[in-house]
Amino acid sequence: MFAYRLLIKLAYSIVGVLLLSGLAWAGDDWRPVEPAQLAMKTPVVEKDADAEAIFWEVRVNDSDFDLIFNHYVRIKIFTERGRETQSKIDIPYFGKYHIKDIAGRTIKPDGTIVELKKDAVFERTIVKLSGLKVQAKSFAMPAVEPGAIIEYRWKEVRPQSMADNLQLQFQRDIPVQLVKYYLKPASADLVGDRGMNTMTFHGQNTALVKDKDGFYSMTMTNMPAFREEPLMPPEDQVRTWMLIYYTREAKPVPEKFWGDLGKRYYDIIKDRMKANDEVKKAAATIIGDATTPEEKLKRLFDYCRYKIKNVNDDAAGMTDEQRKKLKENHSPADTLKRGMGNSADIDLLFAALASAAGFEARLALSSYRDSFFFDPGLPLSYFMRPSSIAVHLGDNWKFFNPGTTLIPFGMLRWQEEGVPALVADAKASKFVDTPMAAPDKSLEKREAHLHLSEDGTLEGEVKIVYTGHLGYEKKEYNDDDSPQQREANLREMFQKRMSTAELSNIRIENVTDPDKPFTYAFHLKVPGYAQRTGKRLFLQPGFFQHGIASLFQTSERKYAVYFHYPWMEEDQVLIDLPTGYALDHADRPAPFVIEKVGKHEIYIGISKDGQTLEFKRHFFFGGQDRILFPAASYPTLKQIFDTIHEADNHTLTLKQAAVN
Amino acid sequence: MKAFRRHRTFADRVSGFGKGISAAFFTRLLALCALTLLINTSAFAGDDLPDWFRQAAKSTPSVYAKDVPAVVLLNERTVKVDEEGKITTYERYVMRVLTMEGRREAHGLATYTTDSGKVKEMRGWLLRPSEEVKKYGKDQILDIALDSNDVFNEARARVIEARDEAEVGAVFGYEYTSEERSVFTQFDWDFQDRMPALVSRFIMNLPAGWRAESVTFNHAKIEANANGSNYTWELRDLAPIEPEPASPRVTSLAPRLAVSYFPAANAKAAIGKSFEKWSEVSRWLFELSDSQAVADNAMIAKVRDLTANAKTELAKIQAIGRFVQGVNYVSIQTGLGRGGGYRPHSAIDVFNKSYGDCKDKANLMRALLKALGIPSYLVSIYSGDPTYVREEWPSPQQFNHCIIAVKVSDETKAATIVTHPQLGRLLIFDPTDDNTPVGDLPDHEQNSLALIVAADAGALLRMPSTPPEANRMERQVEAILGADGSLNAKVLERTAGQAAVNERQAFRRLSKPDYLKMIERWITRGATGASVSKVDPLDNNAEGKFALNVEFTAARYAQVMQGHLLVFKPTIVSRRESLFLTEGLRKHPVMLNAHAYTETVKVKLPDGFVVDEIPDAVKMDTPFGNYATSYEVKDGTLYFTRSLVVRGATIPVSDYEKVKHFYSLIYAAEQAPIVLARK
Repeated sequence: MFAYRLLIKLAYSIVGVLLLSGLAWAGDDWRPVEPAQLAMKTPVVEKDADAEAIFWEVRVNDSDFDLIFNHYVRIKIFTERGRETQSKIDIPYFGKYHIKDIAGRTIKPDGTIVELKKDAVFERTIVKLSGLKVQAKSFAMPAVEPGAIIEYRWKEVRPQSMADNLQLQFQRDIPVQLVKYYLKPASADLVGDRGMNTMTFHGQNTALVKDKDGFYSMTMTNMPAFREEPLMPPEDQVRTWMLIYYTREAKPVPEKFWGDLGKRYYDIIKDRMKANDEVKKAAATIIGDATTPEEKLKRLFDYCRYKIKNVNDDAAGMTDEQRKKLKENHSPADTLKRGMGNSADIDLLFAALASAAGFEARLALSSYRDSFFFDPGLPLSYFMRPSSIAVHLGDNWKFFNPGTTLIPFGMLRWQEEGVPALVADAKASKFVDTPMAAPDKSLEKREAHLHLSEDGTLEGEVKIVYTGHLGYEKKEYNDDDSPQQREANLREMFQKRMSTAELSNIRIENVTDPDKPFTYAFHLKVPGYAQRTGKRLFLQPGFFQHGIASLFQTSERKYAVYFHYPWMEEDQVLIDLPTGYALDHADRPAPFVIEKVGKHEIYIGISKDGQTLEFKRHFFFGGQDRILFPAASYPTLKQIFDTIHEADNHTLTLKQAAVN
Repeated sequence: MKAFRRHRTFADRVSGFGKGISAAFFTRLLALCALTLLINTSAFAGDDLPDWFRQAAKSTPSVYAKDVPAVVLLNERTVKVDEEGKITTYERYVMRVLTMEGRREAHGLATYTTDSGKVKEMRGWLLRPSEEVKKYGKDQILDIALDSNDVFNEARARVIEARDEAEVGAVFGYEYTSEERSVFTQFDWDFQDRMPALVSRFIMNLPAGWRAESVTFNHAKIEANANGSNYTWELRDLAPIEPEPASPRVTSLAPRLAVSYFPAANAKAAIGKSFEKWSEVSRWLFELSDSQAVADNAMIAKVRDLTANAKTELAKIQAIGRFVQGVNYVSIQTGLGRGGGYRPHSAIDVFNKSYGDCKDKANLMRALLKALGIPSYLVSIYSGDPTYVREEWPSPQQFNHCIIAVKVSDETKAATIVTHPQLGRLLIFDPTDDNTPVGDLPDHEQNSLALIVAADAGALLRMPSTPPEANRMERQVEAILGADGSLNAKVLERTAGQAAVNERQAFRRLSKPDYLKMIERWITRGATGASVSKVDPLDNNAEGKFALNVEFTAARYAQVMQGHLLVFKPTIVSRRESLFLTEGLRKHPVMLNAHAYTETVKVKLPDGFVVDEIPDAVKMDTPFGNYATSYEVKDGTLYFTRSLVVRGATIPVSDYEKVKHFYSLIYAAEQAPIVLARK
């Protein structure tokens, strides 16, 4: 397509046709500022906004060889904070893109206009390397004050580009009264029989309206500011945005669309999954005496993971330069022969070995849950990418990803779990949901045997084990660190919660082992852990929860709450009590069950001799794959986690026995 | 241990006020650079290491603590000044990566300004433990803007980034040659940053008959090894400087050198400026700036308008100060090689655009005050380390910020007035910090040395420091405790001085929804599940005060034990700041900022309960601070007080245990609960 467009461009140049780019701004005229806009004292869209865009318009002209954007935004400033955040503008661009025709002005509250002077616009090279540049046009709007209106516009040119798979945003860091996009599609000369389509996500379902000069427009009003929240779904899942794309069919039938896409991938990849004689021979050797299908697959999986060096793995100890020098593997036989490959090579070798062993193996494509929640009813390839190898086992497809290090056999990265995966096939591509690992697969198991002194110091041995996704995250966080830094990470983790904690004899195991659980073991001393008054000691037996704030601390929530995966926590804490102290009116928090989704239970007991306290805690969350909770359920969810937090912070009183 | 600050070079020196590399930006940029480098495949290999590199790589460092990330094997800068005043800098640098984290130190940096300098040549090498050598030539060298926050800045840097290639045990090094012309005849040199250094030297080659003088900071005087007009200052085996909480800045710990050179009597006129006395520095800065402090009619009218209702001298200054604080901070740095970093834009321009950097804002205020008939002076200061500026080296290069000193009569009283021997009473004010009003000064500027720019009358003066009581927080909590453990509480906080600045910063920086969330998070840290019903902030910036009223309820604040005991902490809301000193050993002094805090908590106890146990009162008096708690129960109400006064002080290492003990007792006292028993 690129070459074709270039040819057309040359043809146009020869005949001297003037291209109609930059139609939007004829002359230097600004739109009139209505007195009401100048008189505005409060925002329209969000009452507490510091500034609000009155309008934000972008003309996207895809009819030329260059893709051209004409931006125009008018902003009302309400507060000092609005002045500070909105009056400095950076327009970054890179490569062959360029920015031109920047103009701006400030309309002060009394109607006085202060123009942005041309020499107040600076071109900055942010970074430059061997002719490659990241640049920015930067300027500060003059005479900005609360009550003023600022407006500015510019033209962005992307040479030899087209608006295919282009994301257009409808939300800014401030609310917007009116967002309007004008779109001028590429002509048939450029895109043949493909037509421009748009799809809006998480916003008003507004139709394109035919406008002047071949443009179509789309308008949205009263767009709130976009602000991140902790534990929210991915940005593309909550923000209002629009995708522009070109297709032959305006409304393809999903089944056919996915069938075609699956076939295309199948055709492309089939040779890369082919098992030749060496691969077949290797498969037989690897499988050896394994009998069950699961056992066979496990052996093939382990071979790919442990015997083939993954050059993408941090633990491979390869520099980027060394990676770049590596020869490309063109087939599973190449990967097998060289004993190394990238993540994709290893996945494809696994597929070839599985096929050689008689399994039906296919490439699976999926979206990733950390970027978008995909729906197969949406016939858009934009979200799909090759993700894993599907193997038919019994009546089901199972998914494997030996090329992803640190994830145990039988699991995928959480981003690929619980999503519809397209199993690519020559004739019958179909969607199969990848399973989401149950809570017990991602377990944080903590044990401590501690001694409590009369002065409140707690001291003893601690062990923490992480499996599944929890283990993967711990490994990812630590695998690139030195042993000293890993210890520092652990110390920081504890000292954030118990500022006086002293850790020693630290052992950190299985940091780079994909199968074995990530493990911490250490000696701990926490002076002042228990509070002492005249005759009592106050002790929080939930040692592992000490100092952790409640998960949800704010009352308002705009977006859904999204946990990445289900998980489980198991704690056992033994605390030897100081001599002469006994429990005083001890009780324990009531168990708490969230039907099928989660459970929190605490057991507190005392040894027969009354000297050792036993604390057990069991908690899981995300049962039945419930990890997404709409914003409306936030108060309930908050209450659940507040209750759990209170139970975790349950305090016991130890009383000194009377001295006879 | 993270150390990004590499030695200051020309671009740093001339960049003047309000400048400096943003570490966060630099980190981001290096990450970007690393990505960019991935697309560049033209690195070549070959064993063509220069001898100086190979020699340095053979050095055997001492054995350091395991968390020391890297060691500098050679750090050498040679500055050659020719008779025309052209300055050529050669730098050689070699370091060894000791830990995985040390890889991020494997980078080279050569700064320059586009208007008066250039990096002529730069090369780097990476010697891997396998003895393989990677060479970095021009295709691997990035050219970056030094400060992305500025609308424009001529200061740039060439960067070699080797962090992704450098494994543990690798040796990275680089050299560069740069040329420049400077407005100054002065240089400074940091012998190390936080990393240990085996050999660090600064060499100056001057034309025959010229001489150099040096001043040493943070170290005993380092004498130059002089050979005619060639000088070498060298230190060896410098230990790492590890970060510690509340420690002095590394700029006050690492050995530094300042060198001034003096041309022969017959030298050409194009040579940069020399300074032997602070009054000369003052004269030079004054000549650069004085003509910029002119007001036009519009400004005079604005002054009249602003001060129309101001009855006193202080009120007039406050009115002008507030207006200038409202001018947007925007930095545009041009003409750096010609002193542009020290010359404010014309006050008229800044007034019309309503934006400028620190020197622009101070100069605008000066022009406006002049229109009012109040004399004032620009003040050069170092923002960020009150101990950075030293009297023994008269140089504008010691400063990175500009504020103002306003001449005031005896009628004006304020905590930030100093007396200049010739100029009299001067009210010090920072118009760039829009959270600190006239009459106060940001804590990181207090007690530092700063230069009053007043032509020949200019002098280095100690900036005022405010007492703890001026930076106080007073909190009152009134609460009702239910028999079921519920709590209904009203919190009233009043802050002043720098304590109010902290509150004001949060209030202004965050949008209203984010501010409310911040308050909710603070309250729920002490009272799980609290429901905040009222947040009422009141900013009285003019008087440097801030008030905050919060009301909340918590269903289960106190823990009920088998229906018999009720246990709760009287410290219902946490203090906003705490210092935790947990390490057993301390290498550097502890720096304490002056502040004070008092809290009175009144809790109405539930009927049917009596106090069964109450913590002992605490009282600590030390030279650096006092802390006290008290408890009293009267008519069914608990009265709890706590107060803290910390005096601004630098506590020597020998007293570390005392200050550690002080803070650990505070921590323990604030955890102590109260036990109520059912009658």
